[in-house]
Amino acid sequence: MRVALAEDGALFREGLLMLLRAAGHEVVACAAGGDELVALLANQSADVAILDIRMPPEPDGGLVTAERLRAAHPAMGLLFLSHYAESHYLMRILQIGTEAIGYRLKEKVGSVDVLTDTLSRIDAGEIVIEPVLAKRLVERPRGDKKDVVAALSERELDVLRLMAEGRSNNGIAGQLFVTPKAVEKHIASIFGKLGLHADTAEHHRRVLAVLTYLRSQRDGE
Amino acid sequence: MLAGYRGFGENPTREVGFAPLPGPPGGGQDLPMTLEPAQRTGDASGHRPADPPDRAERIPEPAGEQRRRQGREQWLRRRRLERQLHDGAALRISALSLQLGLFRHRVPADEAVLQESIDGLQDELHAVLQELRDVAGKIYPPLLDEAGLGPALRELADRADVPVHVTTTASRFGAAAEGAAYFAVGELLAVLAPGSGPVAVVVDAADGVLVLSLTGVDTRHAEVVDYQVRPLGGTVDVAAGGGTGTITARIPCE
Repeated sequence: MRVALAEDGALFREGLLMLLRAAGHEVVACAAGGDELVALLANQSADVAILDIRMPPEPDGGLVTAERLRAAHPAMGLLFLSHYAESHYLMRILQIGTEAIGYRLKEKVGSVDVLTDTLSRIDAGEIVIEPVLAKRLVERPRGDKKDVVAALSERELDVLRLMAEGRSNNGIAGQLFVTPKAVEKHIASIFGKLGLHADTAEHHRRVLAVLTYLRSQRDGE
Repeated sequence: MLAGYRGFGENPTREVGFAPLPGPPGGGQDLPMTLEPAQRTGDASGHRPADPPDRAERIPEPAGEQRRRQGREQWLRRRRLERQLHDGAALRISALSLQLGLFRHRVPADEAVLQESIDGLQDELHAVLQELRDVAGKIYPPLLDEAGLGPALRELADRADVPVHVTTTASRFGAAAEGAAYFAVGELLAVLAPGSGPVAVVVDAADGVLVLSLTGVDTRHAEVVDYQVRPLGGTVDVAAGGGTGTITARIPCE
């Protein structure tokens, strides 16, 4: 895969560069800040750009840079890395795009397998959300959603958590060692209980519906 | 108890002996101070005389504006410490996790024991980073620094055992006022009786003052709020109506 990278911490940037190469990816651009990366990608593209959220231009250069990259290269996937997994940033990221986009903790991409899995899912158009954050969203939904989520079965909670991570039906099936058909049935049941009527066949719409449901307060904040 | 929120045992910005609440509306003027005349104990040569303790020199208590400045500086120092953790230790450990990942990749596939050891080390590093994040959040929440009171208070509300509704302006108020308001809400939510609420938290700006109002709370806990806002020269008013009421704090901004 062709990857671009912007991160202002030299130690982390060098480490990620080496890990990306070891995983067999080609790093086509590597920069210490967002503006520099946008310039490097003026005449070439990458499959996925990896962006540190908290980098120049301050304060959250990763988000600004992502907007510019998405405008210039709509097909380029975006992976945000941060030291913090915050739902506030997740919502801002999803405002930039809801396809081929991801948000993960820096230390969690520290293996060839996880890094490649994350990049491949983004390259395939999926949303990838840090599992720790997805788990927190499912365990602590806002306001009056708590009771509804609490009424789900344990298996349904597993499926909801994996949906909140952005996983596809096949991805969920693989994680839970069940058939995609069984996953479909669980999802239909969950959506029924939550009162959601989104088109479950459309992957990114479904993820958005789930995340919006978990995050919204009664007055729709 | 507020899950995931652990208050400070000590408030570094606390001054000695603030007036007990409830005070009169608009109360919170400067405290009466007794400025003791400084006594000279040393001599011109700089030799330290073997004085009895009662001749020791006491530094005069700082005057109002100086105290408020000290209060503000404490918050700035806390924010610097959080940034230092993020840019220093946390980044180094994250980079170390990547290096271990690279090392793991280079280990031959048949070295299962070695691979498992490296996985174990990586898990430990992740746990260390999580602990650093917890500490950083207690010093000065990075979300508060980067995104302001609205997002930070909503995150706090999500973790509360009682239902909390947050309404804020998009205005920023400076690190000190925002820090004091954030920790005032956090400490208050932590002492509310389980099953109480709902609590409405409203943050507004008025003439260079951050106005924080907390409705639906036991107003006997106003002291918790006062403890945070008074070092910055803030005031706390209480309007009670049969058990629960509204606590309103006004915090001057720089």
